[in-house]
Amino acid sequence: MRMILNRLLQAVLVAFTVGLLTFIMIRLLPGDVAYRIAAGRYGYDVVDSAAAAKVAAELDLNRPAIEAFGLWLYDLVRLDLGTSLVSGEPVWDELVMQLGHTLQLAVSAILLSLLIGPLLGILAGLNRGGFLDRGLMLVSTALRALPQFVVGLGLIVIFGLMLNLLPTAGHAHGSHLVLPAFTLALGLAAVSAQVARDAMAEVAQSQFYRFARTKGLPEWQVFRRHGLRNVAVPIVTYLGVQFIYLVEGVVVVETLFAWPGIGHALVHAIFGRDVPVIQGAALVMGLMFVVLNAAVDGFCYIIDPRRRDA
Amino acid sequence: MSTLMEVRDAAVHTTEAQLVQPFSFSLEAGRPFTILGETGSGKSLLAQAVMGLLPEGLMASGQLGIEGETLDLGRPGSQKRLWGRKVSILPQEPWLALDPIMAAQAQVEEGYRFLRNEESDVARQSANRDLQQLGVAEARRKLPGQLSGGMAQRVAFAAARAGGARIVIADEPTKGLDVARRDEVIELLMREVRAGGCVLVITHDLALARQMGGDLAIMLEGRIVEQGEALEVLANPAHDYTRRLIAADPENWQTLDVEISSAGAPVLEATGIGKTRGGKQLFSGVDLTIRPGEIIGVTGPSGSGKSSLGDILLGLLKPDAGQVQRATGISIHRYQKLYQDPPAAFPARATLKQSLADLVALHQLEEVRIAPLMQRLRLAEHLLDRRPDQVSGGELQRFALLRVLLLDPVFLFADEPTSRLDLITQQETVELLVELARERGCALLLVSHDTALIEKTCDRTISIG
Amino acid sequence: MSSLVFAQTPALRFSLRKSLGLFILAGLVVFAFLPLIIGGADPLKQSLRHSLQPPSSAAWFGYDHLGRSMAARLAAALRLSLGLALLSVVTAMVPGILLGVLAAWRGGFIDRAIGAVSESLLALPGLLLVLMLTAIVPDNPAMLYLGISLVLWIEYFRVTRALARPILNSPAVEASRLLGFGPVYILKRHVWPEISAILLRLGAFGAASAIMAIAALGFVSVGVRPPTPELGLMMIELLPYYEEAPHALLQPIAVIFLMVLALQLLAGRQNSGKETA
Repeated sequence: MRMILNRLLQAVLVAFTVGLLTFIMIRLLPGDVAYRIAAGRYGYDVVDSAAAAKVAAELDLNRPAIEAFGLWLYDLVRLDLGTSLVSGEPVWDELVMQLGHTLQLAVSAILLSLLIGPLLGILAGLNRGGFLDRGLMLVSTALRALPQFVVGLGLIVIFGLMLNLLPTAGHAHGSHLVLPAFTLALGLAAVSAQVARDAMAEVAQSQFYRFARTKGLPEWQVFRRHGLRNVAVPIVTYLGVQFIYLVEGVVVVETLFAWPGIGHALVHAIFGRDVPVIQGAALVMGLMFVVLNAAVDGFCYIIDPRRRDA
Repeated sequence: MSTLMEVRDAAVHTTEAQLVQPFSFSLEAGRPFTILGETGSGKSLLAQAVMGLLPEGLMASGQLGIEGETLDLGRPGSQKRLWGRKVSILPQEPWLALDPIMAAQAQVEEGYRFLRNEESDVARQSANRDLQQLGVAEARRKLPGQLSGGMAQRVAFAAARAGGARIVIADEPTKGLDVARRDEVIELLMREVRAGGCVLVITHDLALARQMGGDLAIMLEGRIVEQGEALEVLANPAHDYTRRLIAADPENWQTLDVEISSAGAPVLEATGIGKTRGGKQLFSGVDLTIRPGEIIGVTGPSGSGKSSLGDILLGLLKPDAGQVQRATGISIHRYQKLYQDPPAAFPARATLKQSLADLVALHQLEEVRIAPLMQRLRLAEHLLDRRPDQVSGGELQRFALLRVLLLDPVFLFADEPTSRLDLITQQETVELLVELARERGCALLLVSHDTALIEKTCDRTISIG
Repeated sequence: MSSLVFAQTPALRFSLRKSLGLFILAGLVVFAFLPLIIGGADPLKQSLRHSLQPPSSAAWFGYDHLGRSMAARLAAALRLSLGLALLSVVTAMVPGILLGVLAAWRGGFIDRAIGAVSESLLALPGLLLVLMLTAIVPDNPAMLYLGISLVLWIEYFRVTRALARPILNSPAVEASRLLGFGPVYILKRHVWPEISAILLRLGAFGAASAIMAIAALGFVSVGVRPPTPELGLMMIELLPYYEEAPHALLQPIAVIFLMVLALQLLAGRQNSGKETA
């Protein structure tokens, strides 16, 4: 219960922060904001002072800051995100489509990383100091020292340009998903492999693991019943922290691969100072972060019975 | 009587040194075997060598005979198939040995399922029966974190025994337990013995060794110095170390002659103090007048509020009722405390010299007082350059005593000051503590779970809980 | 007097990993700042006849597509990254640690209040916050610095608070109080030595993530604007020429890799998110 309340509070905080920052943004837009916006909407040829005045009224630019901020937040609460300053389209319509693309990318990346990271990490943790452990340590440290866009660049150069195997930009076919999803997954897997490795090593050294062995249980049962279940808890918990990297990665990777998702839209909007789109994109990404975290909470609740009594 | 297990020339060594000298013994059905020794004597290593659980870097040698088979202790992993089936290994700290996210019943059940190959519902019934017999049926669906220490102990016992082994090996089974809980553990172990099994107990606890009976071996610096029938060894010790060990048991201490000097104005007066914790009344209406040089003992089971009483007298804790009055005109810094865990009572990363220098500087003390006091407390000069974690517990507790004595205390609250120390060190420490307190007219409030220790040292006793 | 004590803290006993990290970092610092002392090429000066020239004995790092000296540009970009990262870390560290100790010490309302502020800043993923701040005043490294510091101080705050709380409740501190020592002593002898032991670790991690963030923003063209040399920006500028001049693209990549790797080596192994959880 508390958990759900906390996440709801977080969602409200996200909306408030985004609202506040974009409000400051719109107030600080250079030049006559209303005129610019009107020009963006109707085209420079037809814009006149009447249109500008209409826009000014619409954005409450004539009201005192506090009152305008209140109205700004009120619109946000009603999920009225306004229209794009650049395209003139309602922000919502664009976001819905972009969100679909971003989710496709994010979910593939998470699943892919969960397939690679924990498996290798657990194997390494079971054989501490072994070949796999050292190799994994080396590779994951190197991967973590590379920004995501460099990993993406590397994949583009190798698979897209040198081997000419996979498309490097756009999203027409399913194959377009491969490189961006891999880029994100590699970064996530590098971290989750290390988390899994440390968790497994800790569990393997724990008194309860040792006791399970001296009870005489077969090695496989010890691992399955006492190892795996206990390792899953920190791996899933840490996923919550990893989602920070994921959301950040989405921004960079979508831009790099021209993947028409929300991160891409956000960067473009910042570039074009399209405040309503900035607001909408940041809001949706922030909320996506909250929802993913809530999902992790739920998962933890299922696999860790301790949480049920807390 | 039949021999269940025979150990020949079990020894432990590293590549450089011999840590445990070869020792042979046999475990007979219906007869406990106890190995008694201090921390670091090598007794646990011996047990680990027998069980095949030595830490990395240590090697064992010798043979183990069980049911007509002979195993080589030097081959790692050879004892593995004995675990659970032939030999039950009890965990040292049961609350850490249970899987934190698995219900108690499942942890017992799996022994029946995977070692005795019972069907899962049969195994569940077997597990429930065991828990019921041990009086912890209500633990079934609980997680280890929800169990009390005593319940966890029983669940772990049931889990370890589910494989049906006749030999039980228990390494320090009473570590950190108070008397009542210790008796419970002894009762659990004796059940096995009465049922025709055998128990090998590794302990530093003289009272446990006495209560187990059977055979006893005394270990000192990696060597068994004496062995035989437990009661015989304890009644007529042959080796000098055993004699000292027995003499150091608080039960055998000389009662200190007391010249009660009830003269002198009280340094502390408490009236009607009471305290509740977690909805439970710890004590109430305690009246206490403490005069210079008095030694007052406080006993009671763990969790009864002994330490809280002392903390209230020192003003570290607020009482729920009543009040504490200190003598007027005496500096607040002359009311001091000694802690249970000496390393936790010093700044961890400063040398002892540094900590003392800080104190001298703060109170503008005369530095020349330190050297004679150190001599008196049998503390070597070179220890000053070490950090708290680099000296022994006994030495550090004497440093703590030195530290408070520099402030000429009129009242000293010693909170289980020797419960983490070995018997012989405990005796030395308590003797010094009492001697110095008497000599300087400092009132001493000595808290201990050990009633014998309190009875032998204190002028009067308060019992709590 | 205090030097006597600190000389023994384990943080100063360097392992091989840490020495290697320090060595790489020192090399990068020398490379970045030497041109300021001995002079060197102007990172902004274009000369198209040098365009995409590979490394030679005259110019060890070659030239970029506009014929600007790669060595000069890399050095300038490094100065920007390292300088901004260091500044952000220091800015975040001081209030982070002070507030952490304060929250642990006073507990109650103050603890909850500072905790709530940090939670609300964490509600939005860090890079998103930085991104939006840079959108408010574009082309201004100050916003970058503000945003990164605003995200970083939380980690210091949380770690310090988690570390200080058990220390302040420990028997050792109780004993010191009974012996008459005041808050200053307790901070100096009990709390600070424990915090200082992990300061390097935290600082290195913080700097690494700051450097990554700066480069990421440069890469998506919303951070530092051209022609200012910045590692992420250089990569995106040189990407189209990867076939003719792979050396040029590889250089900023290698530099950022070495820099983050050095910091990670210095920081040591990450602790399974225990401090973050």
